[in-house]
Amino acid sequence: MDDFDPSDDDAHNGTETSFNDVEASDTEAGTTRKIIHIDMDAFFASVEQRDHPELRGKPVAVGGSSGRGVVAAASYEARRFGVRSAMPSVTAKRLCPDLVFCKSRFDVYREVSQQIREIFRHHTDLVEPLSLDEAYLDVTEDRHGLGSATRIAQAIRRSIREETRLTASAGVSYNKFLAKLASDQNKPDGICVIKPGEGAAFVQSLPIRRFHGIGPKGEEKMTRLGIETGADLAARDMAFLRANFGSFAEYLYRAARGIDDRPVRSNRIRKSVGGERTFSEDISAAPRLRETLDNIVDIVWARIEHNKARGRTVTLKLKYNDFRISSHAKTLNRAVAGKEEFAQIGHELLGEMLPLPLPIRLMGLTLSKLEGVPKKKPRSEAAQLTLF
Amino acid sequence: MLAPQAANVKGIGRNSCAAKRFCTDNASARAASEGLEDETMKATIERATILRCLSHVQSVVERRNTIPILSNVLIEASESGTLKVMATDLDLQVVENMSAASVEVPGAVTVSAHLLFDIARKLPDGSQVSLEAAEGRMAIKAGRSRFSLPTLPRDDFPVIAEGDLPTSFELPAKTLAEIIDRTRFAISTEETRYYLNGIFLHVTDDDQPVLKAAATDGHRLARFTLDRPEGAAGMPDVIVPRKAVAELRKLIEESLDGNVQIDLSASKIRFTLGGEGGVVLTSKLIDGTFPDYSRVIPTGNDKLLKLDPRSFYEAVDRVATIATEKTRAVKMGLDRDRVTLSVTSPDNGTAAEELAAEYGAENLEIGFNANYLKDILSQMDSDAVELHLADAGAPTLIRKNDKAPALYVLMPMRV
Repeated sequence: MDDFDPSDDDAHNGTETSFNDVEASDTEAGTTRKIIHIDMDAFFASVEQRDHPELRGKPVAVGGSSGRGVVAAASYEARRFGVRSAMPSVTAKRLCPDLVFCKSRFDVYREVSQQIREIFRHHTDLVEPLSLDEAYLDVTEDRHGLGSATRIAQAIRRSIREETRLTASAGVSYNKFLAKLASDQNKPDGICVIKPGEGAAFVQSLPIRRFHGIGPKGEEKMTRLGIETGADLAARDMAFLRANFGSFAEYLYRAARGIDDRPVRSNRIRKSVGGERTFSEDISAAPRLRETLDNIVDIVWARIEHNKARGRTVTLKLKYNDFRISSHAKTLNRAVAGKEEFAQIGHELLGEMLPLPLPIRLMGLTLSKLEGVPKKKPRSEAAQLTLF
Repeated sequence: MLAPQAANVKGIGRNSCAAKRFCTDNASARAASEGLEDETMKATIERATILRCLSHVQSVVERRNTIPILSNVLIEASESGTLKVMATDLDLQVVENMSAASVEVPGAVTVSAHLLFDIARKLPDGSQVSLEAAEGRMAIKAGRSRFSLPTLPRDDFPVIAEGDLPTSFELPAKTLAEIIDRTRFAISTEETRYYLNGIFLHVTDDDQPVLKAAATDGHRLARFTLDRPEGAAGMPDVIVPRKAVAELRKLIEESLDGNVQIDLSASKIRFTLGGEGGVVLTSKLIDGTFPDYSRVIPTGNDKLLKLDPRSFYEAVDRVATIATEKTRAVKMGLDRDRVTLSVTSPDNGTAAEELAAEYGAENLEIGFNANYLKDILSQMDSDAVELHLADAGAPTLIRKNDKAPALYVLMPMRV
């Protein structure tokens, strides 16, 4: 029987889109969370090396090479010479005379970024992107039953490698702060897991510079105060930290103990609700297709109801066994009234696509042009004045 | 991480029955480690008794758990003929004792809370339920029904180590219920400000020793003040988490007549309801600093508006019909002895209503979130409510009168 959660290799091809969910977090449940931080390795530079084979193995910097240019990203080969992002290109060239400059191609980076976010969302809706190449994922709910956050992280890294031919590093832990430290631990193309109970020890073994938010200046100050490692920091009490670091104290106090209660925030506004199904065997017979569509309608409509979504456009997507994708859509001048109409439109769309030129391996149905996307929310929130 | 913690539990407290129970715990944990390889237990209990008990504890258990044993309740049958049922989510645990019809084999085991609850719910009224655990399963029999559920060992069941709970006092259940009712609606749900996700309890010596309960989400504040109960002097400031508040409130509802014994330290709080054989709720406290809320309580607001809370509530509710979003503001225009409420919605049109009121200060226009206003007004059980205003951008003080134990502060919306 086909499975809505394909657990074979298909699961890693991003063939099943994730269902966008309203923001939710399990922190209040009090259970241990499972957080992954994914960081692409030398992202922009790696994309350039991927697309320009002649650059592979060479020190590459993305950014303008002219007098006032700045390095936006440096390949690992370039980093060996001390080239860093945000460094003036002139300085970079001095450090590494053989440095090859590439013009940045943000549209390509954005495209790749979309690809990796699709991979993330295959595993969880709780994705908090920090930038094009970095994101936090809350995988406490093991959607595909992979068994552990570490396995999910490995599945994600594998999918990224297969789909983008780029490498990513992953940090796996029970909060964001630790996950981010962990992803940095075995870079590039590495993974590091900090298990519950190991957080404090891990943090305390680190030089203070590795703490997020402590730059060269902060490091100087810390050294002056005799704090060189996380352990040194953990040994100071709250009063000492307050006296020396003001409002930063609470963060430092918690960080030194590996504590971080911040939830993973997915601020993505839902634009569609839908689902797809990849079959274990390709199908083409009309009755079988109709039956499959009905199954998908059941599942997707449950999602629609769960999300209290109302939308005007229904899209049916088919992926043929040669991986070509074809989709038909219908838009009403009002929201789809109910499950029956949703199903009826789905069947109409399927009817338009029959007979199929090839058997299909995937079918998907989506409701979009949603009503009530909270576009005005930020404004009305801003109008509410605050006590604190 | 989830090593059995039963051994850490210290039963402390001079006259606390709950403490004694935890001592019993300790003893049985020792017994378990001293050679009971397989966990056996056999007891029979009235369906109504176990159902009532499970209905108390099962809501503590999260529906989805990453740690399997957290889906379970601990059931412990003792020689004295009582059955102890315990549920936890690691931050909050509820323990209840009930009398069994008979205990054939004393012992303890854990089994799925929701399954057992659902089974108990569906068993015929008046039936005797036999629970028998052996070889990793628990057989549940009643009448002609029989179930067999997988069990997990009792030693793996995490018990909150209460530690020393040096502060002890009692409150009438009704008072505790009122504290909760008057404040809980203002508890923040925003997890980034976790220290606002509960009710803050602290004692002060203003004019006289008092205990104060406060909750805020940064937009509104609710505070309830009562005479400091005997034994509460010198207690640490604590923040009781939202879930504990909700569970506690449900438990209180069933024993409104008695007193609730409260024992606490800076990190844990324990509520004992119904005395011996009652329910004990123990919760971790939120580890954070509640903001100094007293500085946002206005003291110099000189514009006093007095009106009937019920008609005010209804009028706000009516005009808010037009508002399309939950957060849309209701505008209040204040003239001499008159309030004009209005809502303007770009999509839906406009609404307005005039209300008689007592108002003698200069004219003022101010906006409030309709739902926040309604939340506060629905707390008022009197014929008059006072709104002390300053201007359209400043916190407004709302209360029944200056004797009332409850006080609310509401921040306006810009309109």
